[in-house]
Amino acid sequence: MAGVPGISLRGVSKTYRGRGADVVALKDMNLDCPPGSFTALIGPSGCGKSTAMRVALGLEDYDAGEVRIAGQAPATATASGITGVAFQDAALLPWRTVTRNIALPLEVLGRDPAHYSHEIANLIELVGLKGYEAALPGQLSGGMRQRVSIARSLITSPEVLFMDEPFGALDQIRRRQMNVELQRIWLETKSTALLVTHGIDEAVFLADYVVVMHANPGRVVEVIEIPFPRPRSDELYSTPEFHEMTDRIARVLHGQ
Amino acid sequence: MASDRSFWRSPALRNLLVLLAAWEVIGQLKLVAGGALPPVSAILARFWLDRADYPGHAAATVWSSTLGFLIGNALAIMAGVLFVLFPRLQRLARGVNIAVFALPAIAIAPILVLTLQGIAPRVVLAALGVYFVTMTATVVGLSQYDSRSADVVRAYGGGDWLVMKLVRLRGAIPDILGGLRIAAPNAVLGAILAEFGGGGRWGLGTYLLGSLGRGDPARLWGIGLMATLIAGLSYAVFALISARVLGSTRSVTLNTALPPGDGDANAPLALKIALALGAAALPFILWWAFIRLSGVPEMIAKTPWGVVDYLFIADTSAVARAKLGAALMQTLPITALGMVAGLGFAFLLAISSRMMPGFIRAFMPIALVTQTMPLVALTPLLVLMLGRGISVTLWITISVTFFPAFVLLMQGLQRVPQSVLDLPRAYGASAWKELRMVSIPAALPYLFAATRLTVPRALLGVMIAEWLATGTGLGNLLNQSRGYLDYGMIWTVASVSVLLSVAFYYLVLMVERRTLTRLGMQVVE
Repeated sequence: MAGVPGISLRGVSKTYRGRGADVVALKDMNLDCPPGSFTALIGPSGCGKSTAMRVALGLEDYDAGEVRIAGQAPATATASGITGVAFQDAALLPWRTVTRNIALPLEVLGRDPAHYSHEIANLIELVGLKGYEAALPGQLSGGMRQRVSIARSLITSPEVLFMDEPFGALDQIRRRQMNVELQRIWLETKSTALLVTHGIDEAVFLADYVVVMHANPGRVVEVIEIPFPRPRSDELYSTPEFHEMTDRIARVLHGQ
Repeated sequence: MASDRSFWRSPALRNLLVLLAAWEVIGQLKLVAGGALPPVSAILARFWLDRADYPGHAAATVWSSTLGFLIGNALAIMAGVLFVLFPRLQRLARGVNIAVFALPAIAIAPILVLTLQGIAPRVVLAALGVYFVTMTATVVGLSQYDSRSADVVRAYGGGDWLVMKLVRLRGAIPDILGGLRIAAPNAVLGAILAEFGGGGRWGLGTYLLGSLGRGDPARLWGIGLMATLIAGLSYAVFALISARVLGSTRSVTLNTALPPGDGDANAPLALKIALALGAAALPFILWWAFIRLSGVPEMIAKTPWGVVDYLFIADTSAVARAKLGAALMQTLPITALGMVAGLGFAFLLAISSRMMPGFIRAFMPIALVTQTMPLVALTPLLVLMLGRGISVTLWITISVTFFPAFVLLMQGLQRVPQSVLDLPRAYGASAWKELRMVSIPAALPYLFAATRLTVPRALLGVMIAEWLATGTGLGNLLNQSRGYLDYGMIWTVASVSVLLSVAFYYLVLMVERRTLTRLGMQVVE
């Protein structure tokens, strides 16, 4: 697989045909996520960043262009179990326990969850939920539910990991804690990661590349490389280099 | 759920005790129609004397309603799943669904007794009583799934079937249980109506029919309360199950994504027209097939064409039309009047309940209990108290429209967020202004839904009253035609009452869509 990009979108366009007005969600979008890299997709609401991720996952059709995940079409890649996904909302099934929610992708892929009990237990420990194996989502806090959803996204040992604002519903303090944890988990798994977010400091803290998008029509305006060494710690947030980087991205976001 | 639980606590329990005490006093003093309302103690004493009769009759009713409940719900859930998987099938079946919903059970009870054997009429009527409720609950439950959970399944390459299996079916269970809860008393009502409509030796309906002539109020009350108890218990069983199942499995956050739209909106026009025509024709095709398959002689069992022939072509058609016309002129005005009064009363009480929430909380459980009282059992009691005049018909119509409308309106008003209610107040609006700006518009969609949904019940109530009490209108025509073996008229009354109820349903739906679209509101299913 050497040399094959983890995720690649080439000239992808998508238009939502509504009553009266058509909305161009994506126009001639190009995106390359090298294998093993962490890419953050950032932009204002409605710039098409979530659409781009849904297209890459095969959840939405697109009008033109080409999408490849590990060299395969999205539907083939997802059905072969090499991808993992975490959405903005934890989207847990309310009637399933933590363990059975984490096992859901296995059932969809037609694998026997019983063979994965060891992996599930490890993931529960990894996200710090030991002791909550039999809890229902309604008994967990918002942060705990998000951690279940992160564990669920990792159960297939994905080569490619998609995250759509996975911590969007959390407060700033929790978010920073979860970002540190997410980095630790990602460093252990060594997958190709694509994070959709509208938090600038979250993108800078986590990513190797920050891809900035603009709306109307949805398009990529600049790709910025983030050179900070890993593992990155909480102290990074207070350094002048970090602030310089966030200011630069903010300027690109505001079209300056 | 809150109302189910609060029933066992005060003040509902206290109100019940007060009600029973007042009942006893009024009964002892013979304050209502010279003893038509016997004291509770007299009803219990009579019940004790009749204790040998009850087990057999009650068991027969429970047996046939249980069978009907099982068969009807199995069909309803299967139909619901199919309708969700194949929306075009649902369009095709729309006519049948509406017809089943609008069927005034009393009109087809004699037909079923004519065409089927043994307890089959009871089972069929019980099954018809549950089908629409459960089918609708299944469709609603399966349609309102959490699109985010479905995305997770699809993101791993899962297709429609896996989404159905892992997300939608389990997610629909609370809705289906809610449907079963409402359907259970309907099954009991259907079985009793069929028992009452003829044949058989056992069953509470048969017992009621046999006891009507004796004019013993305590006996009639005993049967009525027994029927209510069975229906109420069946409701309670499912209320309990759904409270257990719901527990902690409700979605913990609100899904803000829009539900997937009607994918069939841009289907070719020809297909749409074909489906609409098919939907209108299908009930008649099924009717025709039912007659052919049951093998009942044509003289007794009329096909759709047979009814047209009877009403417009045969030598006696002029007489038949005159009879039918006269009956309709008696039935329709009283139904309309009763509905307007019942709905208006429910509307006023519901919107003013904002000012006296305590009273409503205590009143709701009693309203729910009366909902489970089988109409056939209620009517003779009202006749005892109100006599055989027009007022009994009016009261029945008011009561069958008032309670469902009130319950629906209250549910609607409870969905208005507190902040919306607080906003006018925060700008110093008076209570009246708040009502006018928030509560009344918020209740409007539910008033329309209540009107549409109570039409068949109102027609059923009027026809039962006419059959049992006043000797006028469609109900009486149906009863007389049974006596004269005028099969053509039986089928005619049955089909006309169904058509009327369907026509009225669509009329309200049309006005409702226009009005609510103008106000930017959603139609309540």
